[in-house]
Amino acid sequence: MSGSQPTEVAGEAEADAPAATEAGEESFTGTSLPRVEDHRILTGEAEYIHDVTPEDCLHMALVRSMHAHAEIVDIETSEAETHPECELVMTAEDLKAEYNPMPTGVGRIATGASGEAVELPEWSLADEKVRFVGEPVALVVASNRYAAEDVADLVTVEYDTLEAVADGMAAREDEVVVHESIGTNVVDHERIEFGDLQTAFEDADHVVSGEYSWGRISGVPLETAGVVATYDDETDSFDVDCNIQLHTLVDDTIYETLGYDADDVRVNVPADVGGSYGTKIAIHRYCCLAAMASQQLERPVKFEEDRIENLQGGDVHSSDREYEIQMAVDDDGTMRGLDVWFVDDFGAFPRYPINQVLKPLSVVTNSYRIDHVGYEYDLVLTNKTSQTAYRGFGVDPHIYALEMIVDEAAREIGMDPTEFRRRNLITPDQMPYTLPSKNVYDSGDYPATLDRIQEIVADERDGGLLDPDVVAEKREEGKYRGVQPSVIIEPGVSGSDWTDRQRSNREALDSRSREEVDELPEHLRAELREDGTVRAYLATDSSGQGHQTLVSQLLADELEILPSEIEVDYLDSVDAPTEYGSAASRMAVMLSGATVGLAERLVENAEELAADGWGVSIDDVAYRDGGVERIDTGETLSLADLAELDADRDERLTVASYDYDHPALEREEFDDALRRKLPVYPTAAFGANAPIVEVDVETGEVEILKFHTVRDCGTMLNPTIVEGQAHGGIAQGVGAALLEEFGYEEDGQPQAITLFDYLLPSIETVPEIEMEHTETPSPYTETGAKGVGEGGMIDAPASIATSINAALEPLSVDEPADRIPVAPDHLLSKIREAEE
Amino acid sequence: MRTDSTGEYDAPERREITVTVNGEAVTAAVEPRVKLSDFLRSECGLTGVRVGCEHGVCGACTVQQDGRAIKSCLSYAVQADGAEVETVEGLADEDGSLHPIQEAFHETHALQCGFCTSGFVVATKELLEENPDPSREEIERGLADNICRCTGYQNIYEAVERAAAKMRE
Ligand code: FES
Ligand code: FES
Repeated sequence: MSGSQPTEVAGEAEADAPAATEAGEESFTGTSLPRVEDHRILTGEAEYIHDVTPEDCLHMALVRSMHAHAEIVDIETSEAETHPECELVMTAEDLKAEYNPMPTGVGRIATGASGEAVELPEWSLADEKVRFVGEPVALVVASNRYAAEDVADLVTVEYDTLEAVADGMAAREDEVVVHESIGTNVVDHERIEFGDLQTAFEDADHVVSGEYSWGRISGVPLETAGVVATYDDETDSFDVDCNIQLHTLVDDTIYETLGYDADDVRVNVPADVGGSYGTKIAIHRYCCLAAMASQQLERPVKFEEDRIENLQGGDVHSSDREYEIQMAVDDDGTMRGLDVWFVDDFGAFPRYPINQVLKPLSVVTNSYRIDHVGYEYDLVLTNKTSQTAYRGFGVDPHIYALEMIVDEAAREIGMDPTEFRRRNLITPDQMPYTLPSKNVYDSGDYPATLDRIQEIVADERDGGLLDPDVVAEKREEGKYRGVQPSVIIEPGVSGSDWTDRQRSNREALDSRSREEVDELPEHLRAELREDGTVRAYLATDSSGQGHQTLVSQLLADELEILPSEIEVDYLDSVDAPTEYGSAASRMAVMLSGATVGLAERLVENAEELAADGWGVSIDDVAYRDGGVERIDTGETLSLADLAELDADRDERLTVASYDYDHPALEREEFDDALRRKLPVYPTAAFGANAPIVEVDVETGEVEILKFHTVRDCGTMLNPTIVEGQAHGGIAQGVGAALLEEFGYEEDGQPQAITLFDYLLPSIETVPEIEMEHTETPSPYTETGAKGVGEGGMIDAPASIATSINAALEPLSVDEPADRIPVAPDHLLSKIREAEE
Repeated sequence: MRTDSTGEYDAPERREITVTVNGEAVTAAVEPRVKLSDFLRSECGLTGVRVGCEHGVCGACTVQQDGRAIKSCLSYAVQADGAEVETVEGLADEDGSLHPIQEAFHETHALQCGFCTSGFVVATKELLEENPDPSREEIERGLADNICRCTGYQNIYEAVERAAAKMRE
């Protein structure tokens, strides 16, 4: 497989590494080893999926619905079929004859209006009815993409249009029902209570409530979806090269649809994927369609999604929520209870990441101690494209809504919002802290983090951006500055067992035994090679996180060799076991554990091999500095020698693999959460942000002048990579808070189908980020690392929103940031309201 | 281009063009509708030219045409007839050693997934050719037409400054 890193870059890289230059001497882990992935990318040699085009490859294009909701009366394909470049046209009718619906459809969770489970297949091409603009109706294949689009233009679809519903709240009324066989748009609902909520709300001095809305956004990676599928008639099997995320976990969405066994569908992801942030776990529709076309034609078939397809109907939008939230609070500033209700608009089909509505339970009270909590959601369907996962996985809107109600409660009791927050923070002596919702925070000093960010804010007040004179002067010009920090938690390292809660019998969960919990491990493999290098194999895919660098650092330390002596490659879905992979801020922790376990195994094997070779007992040899030493004579065998010795053995000792179990499994603290299938996230990274915002009250525009942040994700395995993750997450948080939204007209027509309408943060809109780090190791993980991939996206929107509240406090604007993104027109109308 | 109902079909007309790509003349017959980005990727095999939007917003497809940075998804291959085009593949030395801009991006961790990187490297090249010592504001203006979804741009500033320093040496 392409894309294992060239070793010369690694060599150059470690010359730069500050703390460790010689194998075995010092640790490479913890240093900012420059990335081994970079060389091939910088030279343009990296092969992304769009760059893969086999010799005799054909190209697929899709005919998509222009209506949000309509019956398909007729699909006329004959004109397309006569086009000389046309190789194939397929519609739902064709594929239904040979293949299966995609296994991610409504049928897996929906209980209909009758309360009975409903089977409702989701076919890869619309069957009888279209339910969102952009839904694929037919596929065509031709010699190149230009020709394929010509052919697609010749397919005529006749529709009978229906009234559409494109608003989550309205969809609950069921006046327009997206799937008539279910009879309701509310396909899933749950209310969970922890503690004594009723008493808390009855006894509290105040109950405040608020309504907040989180607009539909998503990851929008720069690289769209792509697939090259090749059916092999001789072996009756498929190769599916694509940029799906979690290819060793979600490959079932492909092989089940094709009606084949897992072993017959080899899903392979290139070493380089142009960003995913969760979104690409849901691109299986394309993989299935290209594979079917390839089977029909016995030629490789390629599909490259274009940007408009991606934004409009690519099944990759994410959370789209309306919140109603209440907080019970006492005059002395004690948060007594929290009650959260929300509706999440999943679009036309609730696909893979339905558990996105549950993840917030893992941080349900954020950094605050609140003992009584209610949590309730309606998962509704509308005539919009389906949701997928996006960095934060539904936690970002929850934290935003929670921080909004905290501001509102502070205002109600007349307490300084920072002081109010401080009084309720979980303290270090309460760690590990079990939330009412049963997840456990591992470690951290939240008050100290709040203190530090307040010091930074104090500096800004003293001659900086928030100096009282400057602030007053700016107000004269109609520009209001402000900041409101809070401490925000990033749950890390998701377990897997809880993720099918919605597909389980929820009533039975309370009596479930701990033994029934079944977690997926992280798999890692390595082999010692005769040239003395080590080749490691990841069983997951990467999309920019630097996993190759990370594994070479970790493994170099364990094997006492140099990172440049290690190459890291990837396994496809057949060679790898089913496992979880790169999502949910897992990899730093899971790879730490997997590397240690794998290295232990390799070292043991090396010692056994050497002892055998010398004909001595294993106690007479010792692994040291990347080789095995015979203690009595001082003779050594290098890794190359060992690989050679091993070459003729039946059972190779220089090839080993290790499956690292999820760290929550061996901790009783997590028993309750595991047993009841409540979200399990055993690391709690945290941070506090101080974005200095400036609101122009004439235009409603918000500028972030500077973004201060103090962050802690436990032990940093590679500080530069950690910082990069935080920068990127914060930038996406800025986009979410101020710029991005997939707006829809009432009739279901999408309003953001180009990057002119869906505004990604640019170098002009992302402010300067000033970052500090503390390191509180996790007691639950091998290296002390905590999950880190999602933090900025989780905490930045909330911090920006509370800072906007603070900036407009002097004008008594009523909850100016009650809607994300904080769009200028909405903000302006709020400001005008206050002025009247 | 629609065929009529009798199924008759006019194969798309092609035009012969010659483009000097990374110093080498490439002659090919192309359909007038073929975008320069597609020509470079398919016809010339220069897949380092990335395509992120095909409507001129993301800048991933940025190349230099006659020394000017352009978005190759917004022009047609036929428009480059007779022109000199340089892509990211033309930057590193023949011996494989990286251009100072590429080195600087590596050393400052200014790339993650790397899909935007070709475009940023080429845009930076143009920026530094015009202004060897840009201020932060000038970097901001110079790279405002390129989107990076991963890095939050912080390290890209660093990379440009470092590259500028290297190139001034
Ligand atoms: S692909 Fe050309 S600007 Fe996006
Ligand atoms: S590095 Fe991923 S888009 Fe820039």
